[in-house]
Amino acid sequence: MAFSSISGNPASGLTDRSGSFFKLIDTFASEIGELKKEMVQTSPTMDKKPVELQGLENEVSGVYLQSHHCGGVGGERDSGYDSLRRRMSVLDRLSQTHPVWLLLAVSEERADSILLKQPPGVFLVRKSAALQRKVLSVRLKDAQSGTFISHFPVRESQYTFSLEGSGISFADLFRLVAFYCISRDVLPFTIKLPEAIASAKTQKELEEVAQLGEGFWDSALCSQRRTSPRPCRPLSRTLSPQRTNRNREVGGSQQSHNTYCDSAPPTLRSHAHPPSFHLEQRHSSGPLCFVNPLFLQTHHHPHDCEDNPLAHADNPKNNDSLENAGKSSVQLLSSSEGSKHTDTIKLNGKSRPPPPRPPPPRSMPRRRPAPPPPGPPAATTRPKSMPEAVAVAARPQHSTSRRSAPTRPPMGAKHSSLAKRASSPIPVPSNAPPPRPKKPDLEAHRCHIALDDETIAKALSRAKLPSCEPPAVVPADMLLQNNAGTSSSPNERGRQRLSDMSMSTSSSDSLEYSQSPGFSLGLPPSPPGHLNQDPVEDSSEEDDDGDEDEEEDYGVGLETDLEMRLRPSFKSRRRKVGVSLSGGSFILPRALKGRFRKVSGMLSSLMTPERRAVKRIAELSRDKSSYFGSLVHDYISFVQENRGCHTSGVDFLQTLRQFMTQMKAYLRQSSELDPPIESLIPEDQIDQVLEKAMHKCVLKPLKSMIEVALHDFQVSSGAWQQLRENLALAKTKRPHELGVDGAVPPDSVAIEKIRHKFLNMRKMYSPEKKVSLLLRVCKLIYTIMQDNSGRMYGADDFLPMLTYVVAQCDMPQLDTEIQYMMELLDPSLLQGEGGYYLTSAYGAMALIKNFQEEQAARVLSSEARNTLHQWHRRRTAQRSVPSVDDFQNYLRVALQEVDTGCTAKTLLVQPYTTTEEVCSLCAYKFKIPDPENYALFLVTEDTSQQLAPDTHPQRIKAELHSRPCTQIFHFVYRRVPNLNLCIPAIMQNGNCLQVE
Amino acid sequence: MAIRELKVCLLGDTGVGKSSIVCRFVQDHFDHNISPTIGASFLTKTVPCGNELHKFLIWDTAGQERFHSLAPMYYRGSAAAVIVYDITKLDSFQTLKKWVKELKEHGPEDIVVAIAGNKNDLGDIREVPMKEAKEFAESIAAIFIETSARNAVNVEELFQKISKQIPPLEHSEVDSNESFKLTRQPAASTRRCC
Repeated sequence: MAFSSISGNPASGLTDRSGSFFKLIDTFASEIGELKKEMVQTSPTMDKKPVELQGLENEVSGVYLQSHHCGGVGGERDSGYDSLRRRMSVLDRLSQTHPVWLLLAVSEERADSILLKQPPGVFLVRKSAALQRKVLSVRLKDAQSGTFISHFPVRESQYTFSLEGSGISFADLFRLVAFYCISRDVLPFTIKLPEAIASAKTQKELEEVAQLGEGFWDSALCSQRRTSPRPCRPLSRTLSPQRTNRNREVGGSQQSHNTYCDSAPPTLRSHAHPPSFHLEQRHSSGPLCFVNPLFLQTHHHPHDCEDNPLAHADNPKNNDSLENAGKSSVQLLSSSEGSKHTDTIKLNGKSRPPPPRPPPPRSMPRRRPAPPPPGPPAATTRPKSMPEAVAVAARPQHSTSRRSAPTRPPMGAKHSSLAKRASSPIPVPSNAPPPRPKKPDLEAHRCHIALDDETIAKALSRAKLPSCEPPAVVPADMLLQNNAGTSSSPNERGRQRLSDMSMSTSSSDSLEYSQSPGFSLGLPPSPPGHLNQDPVEDSSEEDDDGDEDEEEDYGVGLETDLEMRLRPSFKSRRRKVGVSLSGGSFILPRALKGRFRKVSGMLSSLMTPERRAVKRIAELSRDKSSYFGSLVHDYISFVQENRGCHTSGVDFLQTLRQFMTQMKAYLRQSSELDPPIESLIPEDQIDQVLEKAMHKCVLKPLKSMIEVALHDFQVSSGAWQQLRENLALAKTKRPHELGVDGAVPPDSVAIEKIRHKFLNMRKMYSPEKKVSLLLRVCKLIYTIMQDNSGRMYGADDFLPMLTYVVAQCDMPQLDTEIQYMMELLDPSLLQGEGGYYLTSAYGAMALIKNFQEEQAARVLSSEARNTLHQWHRRRTAQRSVPSVDDFQNYLRVALQEVDTGCTAKTLLVQPYTTTEEVCSLCAYKFKIPDPENYALFLVTEDTSQQLAPDTHPQRIKAELHSRPCTQIFHFVYRRVPNLNLCIPAIMQNGNCLQVE
Repeated sequence: MAIRELKVCLLGDTGVGKSSIVCRFVQDHFDHNISPTIGASFLTKTVPCGNELHKFLIWDTAGQERFHSLAPMYYRGSAAAVIVYDITKLDSFQTLKKWVKELKEHGPEDIVVAIAGNKNDLGDIREVPMKEAKEFAESIAAIFIETSARNAVNVEELFQKISKQIPPLEHSEVDSNESFKLTRQPAASTRRCC
């Protein structure tokens, strides 16, 4: 059974299961192979459809739910897309009504009391206070193990959710719950949605339910609905009880089934619309697709060649075979999906309902009964619009017969090609505008390609099919037959195809993949095709992604090695894929390449939940009708309009940081995020994801404005000018003058490279990404140092070298960059490596900023602890001996008073007289009544520094005189203004006497 | 087992062997899969301590006088400070005393201070008597140990002693709260659990 195999190969930890990855990859390869073949065969399949349908009908037991709408026209079957919109998958239902069942705050007692009133299978997800974990609380069948309610803990590992004890893990809670609606896995039986939710026919109904939230359980809606739909079920149950449950809950479509069932005689329906039926199946089984877990399918048909893992259903007309096929396909799907997008999944899902653990249910038909589209008109319209759908419809018939392994073209190619072929044989107009899948669909499509290109090539080569040729219909068939040991009926293939489709659809994210492959295959860019289906969303996403990509390029994770390593690989993979795909001919050679990339593809798909969550938050932030959205919006516009209200850059950045932190806290607690983030992201990742989202929501729109504001602050405070001067001065210094001792500094080429990295850093809005770029710079510096010596360098060597590099780069903007990172970086990262090197960069910049001061006299700011003599000793060691004149024992000191201007006196001051002594002398000479408020300052053209009491003015004077170009300077005795060190006002008076 | 991240700051004159000690500590371990780092001035190592794992985040500082004023940025938020001196250089011991004073005045509260007299393989040219250093350490309730990074003497022990002195985690603290604290009072961050 699919099941056992599934549980056997849990996909929980990506990294640790490389073995299973490879298997997976093989599976992919074979699937792809099949797809390819299917594509070829599509047309024949179509012909056979009718037959198969009948077989299906028999199996299905007419009860199941054909919609009368579908009308007899074979060609017109519902493409699935329209119906998708109308009929909601389990996943849709779950995600729309989570306020009802996702009650994290509810106590166990309350959960028990809610569930007690419910029929068996009804469930809640809550957070157990005792376990400090989420649990799935399920109403048991009466008298089961002495209790009526059981609580199954949910395990959250790095990127996934799973039930304790199960090997199957999911990208988020919704998928998990959806899966358990269909398959019990570790549960005693499948869980069920409350009737009102399972049977809701419209979004609106779901919304109503959702609005009640927890109150739903006590509402009339809850109790009332419970009974209504029942009539249908009994029938299904007889066939296979397990399935029935599933059917109900699973399919959004089911709701429709139920309704229809009641109204129309089952038999009629099924007969009337076999094709639609298939479609429906897809829909209903949708949830299966969600299954994240990477598991492998165990079933192998004896006939199947390696390439065709799917093929094992021998009998087209046999329910079991169908089911098997379905299962197998399911497994494949699941495996393929790293993290799926729901919508996509739905399409696929129908074909593969997961087999219930218990004896395989015979009632294939049940699950698949195609629920007629809720709206009568829908049925007719759909088929035309969807090329894909058509193809799908065709497939089901084939499915039973066999699963030869047709090689598959990459995703994009697949779809388009399929659509084409399908359309031609079938009356359905292929030209009709392709229905638009929801966004997730698209994303899903993309990812697969990434996985596949190589596999495809492999599969192709195995099958000995020309890889890029769009096979002519007939030849394709031939191929198929050859390849498939069994004489596969077209129907079977169709089936497999479904699975294939799902596979392709299921995965994750990058646009690039999907598109390039499609073209590479030489398939006509399919206007009707999948890829083009929703250009709008496509493009928007691309924007989004593009932006992200840009930043991702540099590797995001500060602390997460995994991330660090993965991202670059993604990027490179993408590029390669793009290139290789450009021509079909390249594909084969690629087959030789290792599997590694595929594996990373899998990993990448796993990353998507995070991305999805971020995206969702970003969307919410743009929704001004939400509280969060309005807060963000208001804040952003406030900031933009009120730059002036901050006193400094740091102040400004701190308020930003505070706002982001508060918003994160808000998001964690509020119910506005729909679905709640806890259901999408494992607990320990939430903060990280929120942080990322806040960067996107707040910093991204404000980035340029922040830059300008920070710069303005710098300019207005004079810091900018001074920084530039100091940088220019520092740039002239040789490494040893900046404290570098021994290590070899980077040459000009390396400096240029570093500069370039810094420039890139400036483009990032995310402080984390900036820091990761900074880390690259540091790494580079280290590499250079070590290459030249082979020894390990600590901070004693690194910090001076970094200072030197920063000076050489001569980028005054770096200062605000560092400020930006220091203030905005997620505080939890400040202790790590990123924090360390950021601190070092800050330190290097601070040294440069104070460079002149240091030279002038190392004065004396309370922070600069170096005493003058130490500085002197160092300085004099390097320079020629000061001239005798400098040591003359006179010092001219000006007294500056606010009202009277300056008066100057020449005082007798010995070289070792301290500033403190000079001050008391001045107080005496100038007759200052309150000398404690006065101090001695060294004033140069644009600086003014208070001298520390223990410094020696004569020595400072000597030092200044010993400089190559002597600056004008004065010793000024004046009132200390609020301990402010720098008083430009002095200079403006212009009255100061010049010493000497 | 819970992992606690502990920031440890290394202080001391240039040339006393600060980074050698850390390199020795980090590399000597049996697991050679040290996570790739940018360079030797920031290194991490995880060691078991009781029922916790202590992940040391070791921040090296530049010992030259001119960088002295940057030190507060490095030691703020540290759970422990290792002040290293060179037993063959009396000067470095004087510098150590200044660091002790500074930490007492400006350092995080409850910071664990460890004094390491490095280069004890060069006993014949020793300038700082062990007794004197030990007494000084006792007077300020600091950990004291003489090490030799070159010969890998007492390096593990140094960090083990530090580990033992780190107060156990209070379980009431939640991660998210911690990160808030980080912003406001970096000193508290060391008690953060991850």
